[in-house]
Amino acid sequence: MTDRPRSSVNRRDALLALAALGIAPSGVPAFAQSGEVLRFGVADPLTGPNAIFGVDQMQAVRWAVDDINAKGGVGGRKLEAVIVDHQAKPDVGIAVVERLISVDKVPVFITAFSNVVRAVAPIANREKTLMLSVGANSPEIKNLGEYVYTTFPLADVDMRALGTYLHKNLGKRRAAVLYVNNETGVEGAKVVRQSFLDAGGQVVAYEGYEPERADYSGLVLKVRSVNPDVVHIHSVIRDFTAIVAQLRQLGSNVQVTSYQTAFNPQMIKELGKAAEGIIVTAMAPSVEDNKNLPGYLERWQKAHNREPNGLPYTQFFYDSVYIVAALFKHCIDNKLPINGENMRRALLAVRTLELPLTNKVTFKDDRSVDSPTYFWQVKGGRFQLVGKLD
Amino acid sequence: MDAALIAQLAWTGLASASFYCLSAVAFALVLKVNRVWNFAQAGVMVVAYYTLYLALRVAEMPLLPALATALAVTLAASWALERHAFHVLRRRRSNVLTYFIFTIMFAQCAIYLAELVFGTEPKTLAVEIVSPVSMVGPIAVSEWDVTAIVLTVALMVALHLFMERTQAGQSLVAVADNPELAEAYGIDTRRAYVIAMLLAGVLIVACMYLFGTKAALFPSTPLTQLIVFNVIATILAGLGNVFAAGAVAVILSIVQAFSILVIESKWQALLAYALIFVAILLFPRGVVLPRRVRLFRSPDAVAAPVVATPGKADT
Repeated sequence: MTDRPRSSVNRRDALLALAALGIAPSGVPAFAQSGEVLRFGVADPLTGPNAIFGVDQMQAVRWAVDDINAKGGVGGRKLEAVIVDHQAKPDVGIAVVERLISVDKVPVFITAFSNVVRAVAPIANREKTLMLSVGANSPEIKNLGEYVYTTFPLADVDMRALGTYLHKNLGKRRAAVLYVNNETGVEGAKVVRQSFLDAGGQVVAYEGYEPERADYSGLVLKVRSVNPDVVHIHSVIRDFTAIVAQLRQLGSNVQVTSYQTAFNPQMIKELGKAAEGIIVTAMAPSVEDNKNLPGYLERWQKAHNREPNGLPYTQFFYDSVYIVAALFKHCIDNKLPINGENMRRALLAVRTLELPLTNKVTFKDDRSVDSPTYFWQVKGGRFQLVGKLD
Repeated sequence: MDAALIAQLAWTGLASASFYCLSAVAFALVLKVNRVWNFAQAGVMVVAYYTLYLALRVAEMPLLPALATALAVTLAASWALERHAFHVLRRRRSNVLTYFIFTIMFAQCAIYLAELVFGTEPKTLAVEIVSPVSMVGPIAVSEWDVTAIVLTVALMVALHLFMERTQAGQSLVAVADNPELAEAYGIDTRRAYVIAMLLAGVLIVACMYLFGTKAALFPSTPLTQLIVFNVIATILAGLGNVFAAGAVAVILSIVQAFSILVIESKWQALLAYALIFVAILLFPRGVVLPRRVRLFRSPDAVAAPVVATPGKADT
């Protein structure tokens, strides 16, 4: 289950990568081999239905580690990510996180997916190991204990903004909300329903469903019968695509919205013209708001000849490594033993960081972060930025 | 209640029932003739699906050659399963549990292999899964709906004609009724078992093609969803009633589609499992209809044992 990145970086590749990001140092990085390697854990789905995101997120993590090491590491010490596969399953998540803490002895680990984050949070708290949630967006994440922080804005940020945007900016008045019956879907749907109601709209259908089914036509017809002017689908990507396909086939051209999980070029390919007009939220900045993003996208094109699946998620994953590096640096600079308790103290001391791909982040007292919400719409077969709410 | 909604639910429920029907008939046919609860069918489905995927999406073959390729590979897998597994188990007079464990393990093995080779993310057989739609009055009729219904009906009619009108088909019925007696009359039972598996293979290829052109499939979907549906349909239809199993699958699919009107969608999957309990506890021999309305039931098809003849445990 472990997939460790290579231990040494080809300097030329690293410089090219940094140049692509627009953050290359002026000279050749002096990598000092002093002290032990600074290891941190990353648990994400590398197999299973959600691997489509996890694999790309790990690419972002590897690039960030490479880039930091190419600039000399952290206080002259090399950074190393211990990457494990949790398959987006809570039981597997518990096993691999136990292993990260007890075998690999990491003082901090990064993980994602709300159901896994909830499952492993008690371990982080019990073992006093700092846990950074990246991508899990259930609003409950911030209530999981003193060692659980999110670097990723939760659904109560973008889904709250979506309700307002739909009502005030797009003039929608009747919303149907469909959600996959899991932690992410249930909690996200609650927020978007409440925000749309608060904005003055009416929620005419609110329906959960079980994932991975072939036929959603009954669900779709039920929604169609209440005649909404917008349908929000808070779902995993496979079901989102199937539901939209069946919605369009049954003659409905209603506006469809979703959250960052639908920010996926594969979805557009499978839906074809039926994807046109879909609006998704994202909380990572666009190219207009971040000078490093064009270089990052170019790096994807060069390495993989495509955009990443779930671009905003990969931006947060890339930057999460920089957060970890900053916490290590704080401990080293202040001569603190590197352990979970001190990493948490470091986070509380640092609080605010300027990050390469997601700009400035400030950890709030409730262990969450804020962010503007960006709205992207499928136009001409690709995502285009159509709005932003601070 | 809106009549257009009812009509649309009925139509889409009927079209979506196609792959459940094909899968259930394949399952019931093997149960009837080979007398095996063939959970390994999920493994054969995986073989069929990923062969279609390779042919259509990777090799970008035209539809007919792709279907022919999938058919050849699936029939070979079905033949091998019967000749090198079920035949061996039958010869050893293996007990029910051995068949059960073997078929489940075979299916799981195929799933793991597919996950290793093709990855675990869901895959569709069509580049785009949105099928063109025509409005027939208030009802939206997609090309996929029409293809699914026509293909399913054609295959059911062909299977029925094969069973009723051909010598090979009659031999299947004879073997299903009493293999020892059939053998005494000179019928090659081993051949009959192979034919049943091959017929099931044809239905499985059609089932997988229809599924993959409507939605994405995970390697585990055949075992976790379709086989569960097959078991319910087979029990409710009465063990040994091949076409009735297909009919029950259609009815169940339509009932599930309509259930959205009275229960939340998230409870629909649970409905299938609830039906298993009801079927096993209340209708262990199926829903018995008056004889004149029974569908294609063989005279003495009863709750068939899992193996052809009672025997001692594995040696």
